[in-house]
Amino acid sequence: MADKEKRRSGATPPGMPEGNATKSDSDREFLSRAGVGELLRGAILKMVEARSDDPIGFLADHFCNLASVSETGTAGYSDVDHFSDGPLSAGAQEQQHLNRALWHLRLAHHSQRSAFSNNVRVAYDLLNLTGPLRRSGEAPQGPDVSCTDSPTEGGGGGGGVKGGLYTQTLQCLCSEGGVPASTSAPLLQRLHCQDHEAVPYDIFRHGVLTCAVFSDYIRQAQRLYAEVCCPDEGPASQALCLSVLGTLKEALETSQGCEANVCDNSNMKVNSCLEGNVKALCYLEASAKISPYRLGQAMAGAQARGPGGNMDAKEFENAAAELFITRVKVVS
Amino acid sequence: MTRVNRFNSPVPDHEYLADGDVLFYLRDAVTQLLDHQQEYTTFGLIRYFAEYFSSVKNSNHVLFREYNYIRATPHNRASFIRVFWRCYRQIGKSGDLLSTLEYRSLLQLLCPDFPLEMVQRAARIVQMEDVVDCLMSFSDFLYALQLHFYYPEFLNSMLLIYQDLLAGKSPNTVIVPTSTSIDLLRSVAAENISKEKQQQQQDGVDPSTLAQCIDALCDRFKHSHPPRSCMREVLGQTNKVYYYSFLMSLAKHESINQTIGALPSRAEFLIDPEMDQDLEKLIAQISVSPSSNSSGSAVGGLKEVHRRASPRRNIHHRRKIEVESDGSTEETDSSEN
Repeated sequence: MADKEKRRSGATPPGMPEGNATKSDSDREFLSRAGVGELLRGAILKMVEARSDDPIGFLADHFCNLASVSETGTAGYSDVDHFSDGPLSAGAQEQQHLNRALWHLRLAHHSQRSAFSNNVRVAYDLLNLTGPLRRSGEAPQGPDVSCTDSPTEGGGGGGGVKGGLYTQTLQCLCSEGGVPASTSAPLLQRLHCQDHEAVPYDIFRHGVLTCAVFSDYIRQAQRLYAEVCCPDEGPASQALCLSVLGTLKEALETSQGCEANVCDNSNMKVNSCLEGNVKALCYLEASAKISPYRLGQAMAGAQARGPGGNMDAKEFENAAAELFITRVKVVS
Repeated sequence: MTRVNRFNSPVPDHEYLADGDVLFYLRDAVTQLLDHQQEYTTFGLIRYFAEYFSSVKNSNHVLFREYNYIRATPHNRASFIRVFWRCYRQIGKSGDLLSTLEYRSLLQLLCPDFPLEMVQRAARIVQMEDVVDCLMSFSDFLYALQLHFYYPEFLNSMLLIYQDLLAGKSPNTVIVPTSTSIDLLRSVAAENISKEKQQQQQDGVDPSTLAQCIDALCDRFKHSHPPRSCMREVLGQTNKVYYYSFLMSLAKHESINQTIGALPSRAEFLIDPEMDQDLEKLIAQISVSPSSNSSGSAVGGLKEVHRRASPRRNIHHRRKIEVESDGSTEETDSSEN
């Protein structure tokens, strides 16, 4: 309650005469009676946990959801079993869950490790229709991580997220991240699961993380292209672009030894999926650290060699995407 | 503006909270709640907070609030400029020129205690001389107001620097004002302005020197300031800098406008399809039944469409403002979210 009182007393001007002492007392009483402290504390805790880039937007959504829960009883936010809800059809409910899950995934950037993991967890539980509390029960898969082969129903007993829903989530993440569908298609080919398959948590996390990193990567590539090419002069020369791409590729390859960012999910076994995770993150860091000097060298070298046609933004983007995607393990 | 260096460890909680004014809004929400206990408790606390933060998110929160609130955060300042534009852009369309006091009246309809001083400063930028109640176009005035309202601390500091340079001090001895000294010097600056204006036409300042001083200021300045590249660009276009023409160039600079993000570009300044539609509907209704009663009901009907049951809006309407606040449509949509 201390911070709430501090907040409230900050609002009343200092040096007021005693006549106002009773006012602040009654204010305090009102606030504690109404439960404002708990309400705000809960909101702030959630906000700090999610570490959204837009805290005001987060609070607005949080309270709006809370309001609709308390007003209509429909759970848009909690992890209650939804089958008992009459009004919404299964498809509409699924869509609602997808929207909520995507909202959670958007909150914190993937570099904010613990906040992002929390949000992925919440999103997974939302999409996992059979019920939320499976944290302790979920054993990691064996070394060859794969979706279950048997055609389990998504809503069946103890399954994971429905494959179709998982793929949809990844698609939305990519498109919201600013990646055009054609660019992300090959990536999704590698990551997607069959509609009927049940997706366990670590696959889900791997896919989501890869898409998040990929969106950042593509945006970075777009920015790189903008640096290299002046829009007034038409598309950049091919030789120049190839040099830049070559530098990018080198940066990706020399990031093998990068161990700076290890996933903090200590209860997960390290498997080929996670290795891909860690590497994907390292790649982005490495590409961001391409030194201007080396880039300049590459560009100067290209200009000396002479042009051989032009490469426009789209081609550049696709080529950069390819460099990334070839390193992503296929989910089988 | 990224709050986290994306490749380092995350920002600690208290820093995350401190950065970005969230605590300010929480504090204000609670204060407003206490000031209107009766209404909001019947309405429901959760719904109250939901509406409060939704309105902040949608930039509808500054309407009819006091001056100290609207200037408290950059988001509030930008929102207020935007609200002013939305409410009055028809004036721009009709091409009317208004005086300083008339603009001030319009501002006070939206913010009851909006100070004359701020309006005068904006007017000075447009008129580039003493305020002799010249008439100004809506767009000129608003862009100038935006600059001064969004970056007041910076412009105050810059004025002092400019005056020092004009007085012949070398850049190295020009004092970079700290935030505490600004308040003291502001009254001095106000006196100096009229003196300085007499010299205006004869003297200017060397642009590169001014650029140097501005750079030094930005390095240490803890308030927000216009992007340096824009300022350098403007300074680079002239051989001699005169204070008000410099500010006017800044006011009209499209990148600065986009950085603030409140107003559209000059080309789109008067485009307002929603308002045009509403007005057409209104006119159609009036012309269908030309009796005087129906014009009242047409207006009422229009407002009915936009209004949503919300005590916050009722409180504001109780202040008998006749401004057409088309922010209400947004509020309707946002609260459904």
